[in-house]
Amino acid sequence: MKILTTVKRVTDPNMKIKINADATGVVTDGVEYQMNSFDEYGVEEAIVLKENHGGEVVVVSVGPSAATKELRTAMAMGADRAILVETDEKLDSDAVARVLAEVIRKEEPDIVVMGKQAVDSDRNQAGQLLAAYLDWPQATFAFSLEVADGWATVGREVDGGTSTKRVKLPAVVTADLRLNEPRYASLPGIMKAKRKPLDTMTPDDLGVDVAPKVKVLKYEAPEERAAGEIVEDLDALIGKLRDEARVL
Amino acid sequence: MSDLFNPTEEHQVLREMVRSFVEKEVAPQAEEFDKTEQFNRPLFNKLGELGLLGVTAQPEFGGSGMDAVAAVIVHEELSAADPGFCLAYLAHSMLFVNNLAVNGTDEQRARFLPGTCSGELVGGMCMSEPDAGTDVLGMGTVAVEDGDEYVLTGRKMWITNGAVSDTEMGDIFLVYAKTGSRDTREISLFLVEKGREGFSLGQKLHGKLGMRASTTAELVLEEVRVPRENLVGTPGKAVKSMMRNLAIERVTLAAMSLGIARRSVEIMNDYARERTSFGRPINVYGQIQRHIAESYAEFMAGRSYVYHVAGQLELDAFGHRVDSDGVKLYCSTMAKNVADRAIQVLGGYGYVSEYNVERLWRDAKLLEIGGGTIEAHQKNMTRDLAQLDKIR
Ligand SMILES: Cc1cc2nc3c(=O)[nH]c(=O)nc-3n(C[C@H](O)[C@H](O)[C@H](O)COP(=O)(O)OP(=O)(O)OC[C@H]3O[C@@H](n4cnc5c(N)ncnc54)[C@H](O)[C@@H]3O)c2cc1C
Repeated sequence: MKILTTVKRVTDPNMKIKINADATGVVTDGVEYQMNSFDEYGVEEAIVLKENHGGEVVVVSVGPSAATKELRTAMAMGADRAILVETDEKLDSDAVARVLAEVIRKEEPDIVVMGKQAVDSDRNQAGQLLAAYLDWPQATFAFSLEVADGWATVGREVDGGTSTKRVKLPAVVTADLRLNEPRYASLPGIMKAKRKPLDTMTPDDLGVDVAPKVKVLKYEAPEERAAGEIVEDLDALIGKLRDEARVL
Repeated sequence: MSDLFNPTEEHQVLREMVRSFVEKEVAPQAEEFDKTEQFNRPLFNKLGELGLLGVTAQPEFGGSGMDAVAAVIVHEELSAADPGFCLAYLAHSMLFVNNLAVNGTDEQRARFLPGTCSGELVGGMCMSEPDAGTDVLGMGTVAVEDGDEYVLTGRKMWITNGAVSDTEMGDIFLVYAKTGSRDTREISLFLVEKGREGFSLGQKLHGKLGMRASTTAELVLEEVRVPRENLVGTPGKAVKSMMRNLAIERVTLAAMSLGIARRSVEIMNDYARERTSFGRPINVYGQIQRHIAESYAEFMAGRSYVYHVAGQLELDAFGHRVDSDGVKLYCSTMAKNVADRAIQVLGGYGYVSEYNVERLWRDAKLLEIGGGTIEAHQKNMTRDLAQLDKIR
């Protein structure tokens, strides 16, 4: 079974975010970058699939040359080889999906497992758009995944509970947090990853025009919230909810 | 992307892996194991699963085959959350595993490295004695040749990982003993396993100021017989292997100081911008600014020195003594001072355990003593520097 998974290089989600002076983005000076945490679940699931069914795990990133670090991390966890589609542009989800679709047409994996969204822009679109461009079935927000006889059975987190969906392979599955417990890249894994193949190409090589369709007009910080309050007892809480918050 | 602290992508990936492991699994347990003075064996075994216990050992014997910089990264990151646990890690992975990986034979490596790299066995190194610390060549433990065996007698003191619990000793030790007459430099190195007749836990020490998550014990050797296969290196010539291993020991102890200092700077910086006094955050006051800015600058100076020296350190070579002593001399006191300033910046909150800096301060003090006192570093360095006319 050939499994394709994706990783995005994102800014450290634990840093304090500051919007830059012209409101076109966030300040990135001195910021650390790491693998999108949802992608860790996707990579882990891809490796588990390989452990259970055999085959190969290919990991793909669309981003700057520095994203080789995130690809090496995925290979240190257990992915077999990596592809970097190198670009310094900030792509919208649609462009990313079209780039990935071209890679996938070449690679012809049996399944694509990716994070449900990236923790930097939180757009939650690439997986869905990708499935549409490929005309493949999709199962998003997976908390469980079983593959057998050319079908995937996916338990999904949905509003108000869970649902189960069966999709015919090849398909796109996006990972949610309960899907698994991502492993750490072990030291022997890190040393092995050094020798695993990493191919680099550009969106141009793939014939994809990545000019954005979505234009970001302005970044704004949300309004500051007042600090929370710890109340004495339940009666006080009900009182506050009724009289101050007016939600009861 | 090359930078001094992460010279290659592997180093960067390693640092991130250890850092996220530390955040999730090491930081949350640190306070408890400090309080109870216990060694966290399950956590130690996880280091084995990640390949950290054999960070510098040969892959064919279960190690990870990385360099001194990698060892420094691991120590800096572990120590940023739990210096006590990191000291147990150091005694095992540097003083035992790296020591044997560098100085042992393939046969000895095959016998002991797979078990110690996986964490199945806990190892340590026995040099110091109740009556001989800085004056290590004055040690009284002797090993007498008897046919195909050596018979070891003596007492070893301050042995990290000497015990794994209050009553049980560690599994495997590298023990230095005199094989010539008492007043010579003829020292040899032996592998001594738990369970050999006459080898026992004298006492597990209690009431340490800091580094309480690592055990420190006295081990007693009463006519302990070991086969010739347990002799490491040339008989009588172990001072050389001792010096070689002391270099990486001191560099990684300095790396532990970096972890303590970094964490202390982060904590005081964070606190000083939130805490207000006289209606303003305290980091607008000059005295507080001095604590924070000087701490950061000293930390970065120490960090640059350590990574520079580690980058040049070849694990199987000699001749780094001025700087392997130098990094520890500078960084141990630096970390203690930085932790002290962190307490000061936090005021009363710094003095209690919740903010961790009091623990970091207690732990930092050990680094001025263990692995060589700062006075010993001053002595060694000045003796070596006296041979120099110019500094390159
Ligand atoms: C928590 C802990 C863990 C340790 N772990 C280990 C371990 O795993 N293995 C191991 O072998 N050892 C270990 N040690 C021992 C440590 O290395 C020694 O404590 C250290 O070398 C100092 O020796 P000492 O305590 O005998 O002090 P001493 O050598 O007696 O020194 C006492 C004082 O005299 C000073 N002094 C001594 N000689 C001179 C001189 N010539 N000139 C100037 N000043 C001098 C010293 O600097 C010090 O201030 C550990 C110690 C501790 C506290």
